[in-house]
Amino acid sequence: MLAVAKSMLLPIGAALAFAAFVGGSVKDLGPRLPKEIAGWTSAGPDRVYDRKTIFDYLDGGAEVYLAFDLREVFVRKFKNTAGTEIALDIYDCGSPAEAFGAFTCDRQDPDAGIGQESEYGSGLLRFWQGRYFVSITAAGDEEKAESALRELAKAVVPVLGPSGEPPALVRAIPESGLKKDRTCFFHSVINLNNRFFVAADNILSLGPETDCILAEYDAGGKADPARLLLIHYPNEIGAQAAEASFAKGYKPVAVAAGAGANTGPRTLARRRSNFLAIVFAAPSPEFAERLLAAVNYPQP
Amino acid sequence: MKQPLTRRDFLRETTLAVLGTTVGLPRLAPAQTVPPAQTSKSRVVLIRHPEALDENSQFNGKIIQQMLDEAVAKLLDAPDAVAAFRQLVKPEDIVGIKSNVWSYLPTPPEVEKAIKSRLLDAGVKEEAIGLDDHTVRTNPIFVKSTALINVRPLRTHYLAGMSGCIKNYIMFDVSQPAHHPDSCADLGSLFLLPQVKGKTRLNVLCVLTPQYYGRGPHNFNRRYVWNYNGLIVGRDPVAVDAIGLRLLMAKRRKELGPAQEIPPVPKHIQIADAKYGLGTSDMAKIELIKLGWAEDILI
Repeated sequence: MLAVAKSMLLPIGAALAFAAFVGGSVKDLGPRLPKEIAGWTSAGPDRVYDRKTIFDYLDGGAEVYLAFDLREVFVRKFKNTAGTEIALDIYDCGSPAEAFGAFTCDRQDPDAGIGQESEYGSGLLRFWQGRYFVSITAAGDEEKAESALRELAKAVVPVLGPSGEPPALVRAIPESGLKKDRTCFFHSVINLNNRFFVAADNILSLGPETDCILAEYDAGGKADPARLLLIHYPNEIGAQAAEASFAKGYKPVAVAAGAGANTGPRTLARRRSNFLAIVFAAPSPEFAERLLAAVNYPQP
Repeated sequence: MKQPLTRRDFLRETTLAVLGTTVGLPRLAPAQTVPPAQTSKSRVVLIRHPEALDENSQFNGKIIQQMLDEAVAKLLDAPDAVAAFRQLVKPEDIVGIKSNVWSYLPTPPEVEKAIKSRLLDAGVKEEAIGLDDHTVRTNPIFVKSTALINVRPLRTHYLAGMSGCIKNYIMFDVSQPAHHPDSCADLGSLFLLPQVKGKTRLNVLCVLTPQYYGRGPHNFNRRYVWNYNGLIVGRDPVAVDAIGLRLLMAKRRKELGPAQEIPPVPKHIQIADAKYGLGTSDMAKIELIKLGWAEDILI
């Protein structure tokens, strides 16, 4: 609802500009983006990277974004008179669900109130809007740069057009005890292990065809949060194979389809049709059982 | 069939005991020249100094030189640093110092300078010493090199879990992305490349300002870097990285909690040992010598 309301508030000019842009390359965003902001001016030419050339820009982190349906990245750098650099990166993720994933897979800081969802912390401002994930980074003098980062982000949002919907799978996870700002969507084992290391091998057979939600739940007191991993496989055979692989690889685990099985006091797994749900680090078997029972499985 | 390493293994065994276990991989011919005296136990020296960085977090070149000197002398049981470097290189050697220029956290020039200074003292000609990162494959000195010194900062990495001395050689290969699959599992193969094999005389992992966590597309944020004021030095790159990983995990446990203690997924260190025979990742086979400042040492 909130997303819809925000999109309705877009200035007509911006909406028209977006209408002309839909489906276009990120390079077309350039003319509508600010070249100067709060004492920082653009430095050097804008750059555009695709799935092949992104390795020239991101040293070691490219796969994290390639694991989403990344199309292109637009990069504009700014410098102030002291030489402090701000990097504006706009990632065209192909769809709002993928942009939501790129944003949430790394979310940690307080809400910045920008775009559909955002965060700001210590020189790093991240948000998503429509099919775009945006990262704005200050390298040095982060305190001074904060206001510029926020201004720049606010100027970028209307250029990116209307809001989009997060993936439907988000609605399947229970709300009670959920830490909403610690819920992430992804496909790949790279993203899972960056958020919560499960295994060195891909024992859950995650990949481009799997949709995953990893959510954290208040486990009470000072206990580490419990994690719920919900995976949607393309078919039931895939889910069954992953269930068996997990049971074998994450010993001592015994996973029983349908009914669910107690895999010790902290881990519980259950498969239903194309879906596999696993609770990690639960404070008790009863907690894990309640959490799994509350999953609102979508129709496959 | 060997069970995959899982979260349970790490939590049950705690830290590197798991990484030290063999994984049933076939061992290739050893790629690293480790002196016989060190084959039973790999010696690694961790040295720290409270004044390695000044009050503005600027590197103190003089102190860093002293730290390197003391660490390398201890590593080789030599009377002083020059004598130690004379054990590592000969005057006729052509030496490539493989550094790291990652813009957010490069190898400090003060460390590069300290190494070069002692190479010169050991008799290596200035024109026979090269310093490079991205163009090592074509740099004439590196192409002709007879010895390599491996130096870089310690940091986490999205795919490999950790960027250390093993990963620092990735620029010796034509394709860097080719090493990315399976959490960069086979980085150890870099030490088998003809331009590299058998040449590494010293590994220096800079833990002056290591990075224990990474976020954002560039995987860097200053808040995850801390002043540890140290150097980890060894002849065995696997042992050096194993100690570096232990430090990262200790810091992550302290700052991020036990759930995020393990950086994903540092198996390349174990595989460099078990499959490529570069050195040892088994803590029981590493002699860790700690010198200098002990406050907040973590390991």
